[in-house]
Amino acid sequence: MEGRKVDMNIELKSKEPASVPVFGDQKRLLRHAMMPHMLCPGCGHGIVLDAMLSVLSDRYENLDKVAIVAGIGCSSRIVGYIDACTLHTTHGRPLSFATGLKLARPDLDVIVVTGDGDGVSIGGNHLIHAARRNVDITCVLLNNEIYGMTGGQAAPTTVLGAYTTTTPQGNAQHSFDVSELVKAAGATFVARTSSYRPQVFGEMFAQALDHVGFSFVEVMTDCTEYFGRINRFGTGPDLLMSQARYDPEIDADLAARPTVEEISNPQPVRPVLPTGLLHRSNRLTLEETLNVAGGRSSRSNENRVVSGSARRDL
Amino acid sequence: MPESKSSATKLQKIVAENDKTKERSSGNVVLGGVGGQGVITASNTISFACIDAGFDVKKSEVHGMSQRGGSVVSHLRFGREVHSVMVELGKAEWILGFEWEEGLRYLGYLKPGGVAFISVERRIPPSAQVDRRTGSVMYPYDVSPPEGVVPIDTYEIAGSAAEGRPAIAQTVLLGALSVEMGFDEEVWRRAIAATVPSKYVEDNLICFDRGRAWYEEIKRTGGKSKGTISAAYGNGRTAGTVATLSGHAVGSTTGLRISTDRGKPRVEITRSWCKGCNICVAVCPERILVLDRHEIAVLSDPDRCTGCGLCARMCPDLAIEVWLDSFAGNGSLKGSAAKLGEKQ
Repeated sequence: MEGRKVDMNIELKSKEPASVPVFGDQKRLLRHAMMPHMLCPGCGHGIVLDAMLSVLSDRYENLDKVAIVAGIGCSSRIVGYIDACTLHTTHGRPLSFATGLKLARPDLDVIVVTGDGDGVSIGGNHLIHAARRNVDITCVLLNNEIYGMTGGQAAPTTVLGAYTTTTPQGNAQHSFDVSELVKAAGATFVARTSSYRPQVFGEMFAQALDHVGFSFVEVMTDCTEYFGRINRFGTGPDLLMSQARYDPEIDADLAARPTVEEISNPQPVRPVLPTGLLHRSNRLTLEETLNVAGGRSSRSNENRVVSGSARRDL
Repeated sequence: MPESKSSATKLQKIVAENDKTKERSSGNVVLGGVGGQGVITASNTISFACIDAGFDVKKSEVHGMSQRGGSVVSHLRFGREVHSVMVELGKAEWILGFEWEEGLRYLGYLKPGGVAFISVERRIPPSAQVDRRTGSVMYPYDVSPPEGVVPIDTYEIAGSAAEGRPAIAQTVLLGALSVEMGFDEEVWRRAIAATVPSKYVEDNLICFDRGRAWYEEIKRTGGKSKGTISAAYGNGRTAGTVATLSGHAVGSTTGLRISTDRGKPRVEITRSWCKGCNICVAVCPERILVLDRHEIAVLSDPDRCTGCGLCARMCPDLAIEVWLDSFAGNGSLKGSAAKLGEKQ
């Protein structure tokens, strides 16, 4: 694989390349020694990985100044395949590590890749507080509505009525709307896309990287092995196509299924979620507010804050 | 008899003096375009204007699969009394082409000395795509328009008034036609207001004004002002595209077949990375990816690959890469890849 990488660079340097890739040369950013990745066949995370790489490849020559932080879970594993400064942290705490990293090394572009189990359940507090503090990091949350890595248990994002290994009669609990949660917690950039539209995800991810402040991109992906198989939604392509028609199909399917009798929910169990850029606002980042708090006595710090907020007003 | 004739001519003269719009005693218009571009609406507008100006009007149109991009043609005749609806070949004073090729198609109806206003808007029909692999299409990109053809970049001229609504931009053609047909401007404005859906009237009137102003400018300068039109049908919509009234050869007549030469697509599948999830098989528009007996994706018919790259984009295992190999002696491929990117 290393050989191919080198070949490609030579081709790109020559004036008239013999052949060019249709979708850019994002594979140069892969850790080729780690491939193939450990994700299940048809898992949407791989599509997100490819789309992320193509955005990063357009923006960076190399990823020496990019730190990608991840927690535990299938989604967090994808950073292991990116040839950047990657940090594999404890379960649910990638945002806390990233906050510290960003404050210590403001020169780094910090990206957090997390999942719904990692970011919303175990790290739910860290998620809302990172959003509240408005740290200048980009968070990509891959929402497959289930705990994939640990064996398909119900997550806080699992929709009402869905079958998982821990809800054999259908999930009896309501699910989180993660984007709304993060928006309410004070994030300044919130977007939601799906793995069916990697191009749209790429656009949102690029905007999130440009944004100063806590930027959050939720990607709806599908767990083929647990969510898809147990709910009998079919294999990878079927799940992917169901994202295309966006969720009504799955709604109908889930609604037709017998769930816990007491719930007997006549409403579609998987609401059609709005996608695209959901929220954008401007607030001081944690770095700037820390300057205020830590520098009350010092005039130079005040000046710094003023200049910081002036930049913000633009 | 001679008496009545002379009285008739006398009457005509009086009418002509009273109403300058009736200088023209009759006229034929042929409108051609593609379904959804507003050809029928435009012919209705012209009919209303003619009736308003005191003429008898008959019109007939052929339309079928119109909303699916099919060909639409409308014949319109006006005069003091019209008997037949069809315009004879070589008898139309004016032709309105709402689409470049559709406009050229009906040039046979044009009278010597007539004017054909043809939009450079291009709608390439699927049947014209003779080779999807190389992207070749049969389309008169490079045909130099004959005498009397006024190519108009309607979308460019309409500007903000038709942003994202190309059908409204076609009112620019009516604006240009109104200069030639010579009814009172108010007659045209009333006709547009009467035939166009009420919420679009304002934008249509702006486009009408812009088309009228543009063509008046062309007539005044003799078509010698600003730019050439080669860019208009070479590269699609470009700024400052103005027709030459004399219809000089712009570009060369190289025939209809144009190949985009964007390179020969080649699909590279890393077998050791593929997990056989079937996604590429499902998303390939050409249906040429299959799983082999080891459940690994293979190309069943590489020659049919169009190089769209959808499989590479959607492969969750990053196992597929699509390359465009240059044909021997065909310029830089980098540009063509960029063009391809734009398309997608």
